[in-house]
Amino acid sequence: MKLNIEGLLVYFPYDYIYPEQYSYMLELKRTLDAKGHGVLEMPSGTGKTISLLSLIVAYQRVFPLDVTKLIYCSRTVPEIEKVVEELRKLMEFYAKETGERNNFLALALSSRKNLCIHPEVSSLRFGKEVDGKCHSLTASYIRAQRHINPNQPVCRFYEEFDAVGRQVPLPAGIYNLDDLKDFGRRKGWCPYYLARYAILHANIVVYSYHYLLDPKIADLVSKELAKKSVVVFDEAHNIDNVCIDSMSVNITRRTLDRCQNNVDTLQNTIQKIKETDAAKLREEYRRLVEGLKEANVARETDVYLSNPVLPDEILKEAVPGTIRTAEHFVGFLRRFLEYLKSRLRVHHVVQESAPQFLKDIFDKVCIDRKPLRFCAERLHSLLRTLEIADIADFSAVTLISNFATLVSTYSQGFTIIIEPFEDRTPTIANPVLHFSCMDPSIAIKPVFQRFQSVIITSGTLSPLDIYPRILDFRPVTMASFTMTLARTCLCPLIVGRGNDQVALSSKFETREDFAVIRNYGNLLLEMSAVVPDGIVAFFTSYVYMENIVASWYEQGILENIQRNKLIFIETQDAAETSMALEKYQEACENGRGAILLSVARGKVSEGIDFVHHFGRAVIMFGVPYVYTQSRILKARLEYLRDQFQIRENDFLTFDAMRHAAQCVGRAIRGKTDYGLMIFADKRYARADKRGKLPRWIQEHINDGSLNLTVDETVQLSKHFLRQMAQPFRQEDQLGLSLLTLEQLESEEMLQKITQIAHQT
Amino acid sequence: MASLSEEVLLVVKKVRQRKQDGTLYLMAERVAWCPEGKDRFTVSHLYADIRCQKISPDGKAKIQLQLVLHTGESTTFHFANESSALKDRDATKELLQQLLPKFKKKANKELEEKNRMLQEDPVLFQLYKDLVVSQVISAEEFWANRLGGINNTDPAVVNNKQEVGISGAFLADIRPQTDGCNGLRYNLTADIIESIFRTYPAVKQKYSENVPHNLTEKEFWTRFFQSHYFHRDRINTGTQDIFSECAKQDEKGLKSLVIQGVKNPLVDLLSLEDKTLDEGYGICTTLPSTSNASKSVKDSSNSAIIKRFNHHSAMVLAAGSRKGETPTDQASETSSTDGNSRDSDFFQPPVKKVKLQEAIEYEDLQRENRPKTVALNLKKSDRYAHGPVPLQSQHYTTSQDIINSVNYIRHEMMNYKPNLTEVLSSTAASSAIAALSPGGVLMQAGAQQAINQMVPTEVQGELRHLYVAAGELLRHFWSCFPVNTPFLEEKVMKMKSNLERFQVTKLCPFQEKIQRQYLSTNLTGHLEEMLQTAYSKFHIWQTRRMMRKT
Repeated sequence: MKLNIEGLLVYFPYDYIYPEQYSYMLELKRTLDAKGHGVLEMPSGTGKTISLLSLIVAYQRVFPLDVTKLIYCSRTVPEIEKVVEELRKLMEFYAKETGERNNFLALALSSRKNLCIHPEVSSLRFGKEVDGKCHSLTASYIRAQRHINPNQPVCRFYEEFDAVGRQVPLPAGIYNLDDLKDFGRRKGWCPYYLARYAILHANIVVYSYHYLLDPKIADLVSKELAKKSVVVFDEAHNIDNVCIDSMSVNITRRTLDRCQNNVDTLQNTIQKIKETDAAKLREEYRRLVEGLKEANVARETDVYLSNPVLPDEILKEAVPGTIRTAEHFVGFLRRFLEYLKSRLRVHHVVQESAPQFLKDIFDKVCIDRKPLRFCAERLHSLLRTLEIADIADFSAVTLISNFATLVSTYSQGFTIIIEPFEDRTPTIANPVLHFSCMDPSIAIKPVFQRFQSVIITSGTLSPLDIYPRILDFRPVTMASFTMTLARTCLCPLIVGRGNDQVALSSKFETREDFAVIRNYGNLLLEMSAVVPDGIVAFFTSYVYMENIVASWYEQGILENIQRNKLIFIETQDAAETSMALEKYQEACENGRGAILLSVARGKVSEGIDFVHHFGRAVIMFGVPYVYTQSRILKARLEYLRDQFQIRENDFLTFDAMRHAAQCVGRAIRGKTDYGLMIFADKRYARADKRGKLPRWIQEHINDGSLNLTVDETVQLSKHFLRQMAQPFRQEDQLGLSLLTLEQLESEEMLQKITQIAHQT
Repeated sequence: MASLSEEVLLVVKKVRQRKQDGTLYLMAERVAWCPEGKDRFTVSHLYADIRCQKISPDGKAKIQLQLVLHTGESTTFHFANESSALKDRDATKELLQQLLPKFKKKANKELEEKNRMLQEDPVLFQLYKDLVVSQVISAEEFWANRLGGINNTDPAVVNNKQEVGISGAFLADIRPQTDGCNGLRYNLTADIIESIFRTYPAVKQKYSENVPHNLTEKEFWTRFFQSHYFHRDRINTGTQDIFSECAKQDEKGLKSLVIQGVKNPLVDLLSLEDKTLDEGYGICTTLPSTSNASKSVKDSSNSAIIKRFNHHSAMVLAAGSRKGETPTDQASETSSTDGNSRDSDFFQPPVKKVKLQEAIEYEDLQRENRPKTVALNLKKSDRYAHGPVPLQSQHYTTSQDIINSVNYIRHEMMNYKPNLTEVLSSTAASSAIAALSPGGVLMQAGAQQAINQMVPTEVQGELRHLYVAAGELLRHFWSCFPVNTPFLEEKVMKMKSNLERFQVTKLCPFQEKIQRQYLSTNLTGHLEEMLQTAYSKFHIWQTRRMMRKT
């Protein structure tokens, strides 16, 4: 259908539309009009992606000069592929309606592991191996050597691409990962480099968060993306953790040992080169004197996305004289390394800020702040000069130099914690230096600064106002949309008591209590008898799950559950869990029914959907608080309190509830779907917890279902399931939660739609 | 009757029956007794006919065994060998105990099957009533053809009886009971043992290796329950445990499953993340414990339980679908992989594409693809059933045509001039009118359609039954040709007499009834014709046979 969104003609590739989709597009259009940032929450399964794509593509067509590119970031590879498939559907609809093929170029970009077609390289299993092997075949100096020595192996796909591929732009169309590989095979070009090259002129790019948020990768891949782009972060409820992860560094003794080796190798290589090719080192020296002008000019003329590891100030200066020659720099690294080693020899926990660390390093080994700041850049230059092929081998020294630059650049937002041993095993020395980022805004700042519109969206972003605060930006629109429903297809229940009136809770004091564990077991057992097909249960942590499973086993509860359904359990091994997941789905598929025991914050809770019969009920055992005793977390909470005036408890609850919402939201993936959401902890009933659930879940919790016993839960579930099992047809939804174009245009409906968006 | 190929399972001498000494034979399918000095069985019962066996109480002087048949008759054997009478009797009893259930099941199954067929198929039931209850043919004859027919037409259904899955909790059903003196008793049934074997093929292998050469069955299961294999949360394995190998095999199987990976890319957690952080970056809230030693024994036993449950569920699932899947598995085997990752790469997209498409589908946003159908809403269903006679393949006339032709006729009529010299005589005219009115000679064609109105419904029903019954008998009759065995010869004779009996007992009364009701007699004409054809065939065959004989 063709929609009129405040004067913009939007092609929407379906015959019907959900009211909230219309509302969502309205808000999105306003955000784009204002050239600002937006935070939008809409339940999963209401067609968020297609709404986003339809509107932004329409916008791009009408205002090609205002929005030149859409950068769509998602979290997992399947998500990325799904987005591209939806885009393909949209484009097919355009072609059908307008009768002409438009010249849109859209493509997905992923790591080499998913794109490589080189027979040997692609057979490697791990991403890192693929990257390393690829690098050893395509590095510039390797290719230069080939001119001298034709036996030097290179990647023919890359050679072909380098020779021809850059001249011919990728023809317009929609390229998913497999399409890129096919295209690459046909042409004999490397799909990975082709995609990386093509994103510069593509209209739509779909890739993972890391390509924008991780400074190490963003610098390589996304540096030159146009300023007039719209950036969308989908499934963004966890974006702050991604930001923090990308800026944090951990240094162990092993890292330092490997670093030592690296430095030795560097020393030897320099020595060798000095004897054979001293001119090369002189050339490098000259370049360093010239400074980083080039990069500075590029950034000032607004060509580059800035890199938070490479702050603005240092671009204006030249590399300081003390580390300008290669030998001096290596010596400098050695000194720094020794210093770190000495710091790791402590016997008690140390926590200090970056300025304290800098002062200490100056006092102890006389290393100034300034050379430290140039460390990363200097190393990069050196590795280039020395023609080191396998960068992966030098990951340790790169890590150390990145740390040096970060610690000397940011006086705020980071903390240094040195722990001589793990908390659980105080007798085994395993010193770790955590340099942890506490401020997610540092990593994402360049994105907000550079791109005109950044949309943060997810099914669960409540409470909305916390994201702008912790990411430090000013959105022009913030809205939460509910799910309009013709029948209430979700049934959130809070189980607060067992049948014996024992309060159910996973809080620390009662965690080991047998009565609680037994009651949790009873809940699962009773539900397994009532709920058809699949049940997914989430625990607050892996250790907790192990303990509960063990005691359920001892008490014979698991055996009784097995009478009703098969049991599959997430393990810490991803391959094993994948298998368990597949078997779980098979068991749901063939009618036997199964239970999956899983962990909140685990991979399953973040990336796997349990549509329809794969998840008729989700049980959340306990409130998934993060492990609060960790020093890093404590430091972060302190920082949040001081900088953003967010109280510790507020943040912890917010964090727990967003994970709980993610877990239970896994079961509802659409309006035809239905599922029970069982929160098995009495603490969920409190207003401060409940209020932090997304609005579309909160709406359906009524006061009667706040503190149920197990029996009452079973009764309510039975009733709900019986109702839901009735046939549900399109006509039942039409006019309520599903609209035709005529219905949408009626005055009354437009009135209603304005109420769907919940402005904050 | 006593074919030589019959397998004799047990021979007991000195068994008296009706005060007569003789020998009791237990054979594969029947039990038989022959009096001393004769070579003929005077008593012979198929196991399937035996309802139960009874034995005399232990203290009694006469050691007897009684067989009660389904028909209610019973036969008593008296074991008369002084020295070993009790032993003989017990051996017989034991063997019978094993044999009878098998046949009982079979007999019951057949009965059930017959019952079911009759219940499901009213036509068959009617036929059964018509032919068997009225004793036109015997029940055996009736079923011989029926059941056989089913067996022949789709053997798949009969042979492939539905595979019963395994309960996920079969191990839980083995409740250990304390026997009061520091011991445990496990109750095993044949079902549970089968479940164990099907779920854990390794145990089955062990069983066939060790039982009965090395261990008795009882010992085997005792060891099984003692082994850590059963109590999987115990970590330490004794080396002398015969099941430690099973555990290793399971481990291997699990590993190979894991290495095989998953077919559905959407659940593959390994390839979920696009770009993992490099080593050393990121916040590790849960520190990966580098040293395994730090893990306590309890932890590892917990993870062993988890592993065990995953494995158990996977095995149960696989055991349930193993049989049915083998052909498809092979098919996919050829198309998918032999463990080569690159190979799989080529074949992966289809699965992936489908899964992706499924994942982005919004069924309710799309208009339903199939054309909208209008439900049939009938006010008078009989009008629909025998509605207007369908138009033959003739040109449809448009309204314009009709108007034109009406105009034309009107025009003709206006110019009509009777040619009085060539008119019909009045008698001819009136006879023509009679012929053209309903019931007249020329209107016979119209009467045919009215047969269902002319004949009362109960007569119709009766006729239908007659047709079915006659058809059945004729089918039996014709299936005898070509007559090339003595058995068929016998049968064809019998069928001929059956047909005749049918004609006399069923068809003739019906005809008379019709005549009494003054209905047109040709209702049964076709039936008679069919019977006549059969008779003439029979006569031809008979005369030919006579000629050959002479």
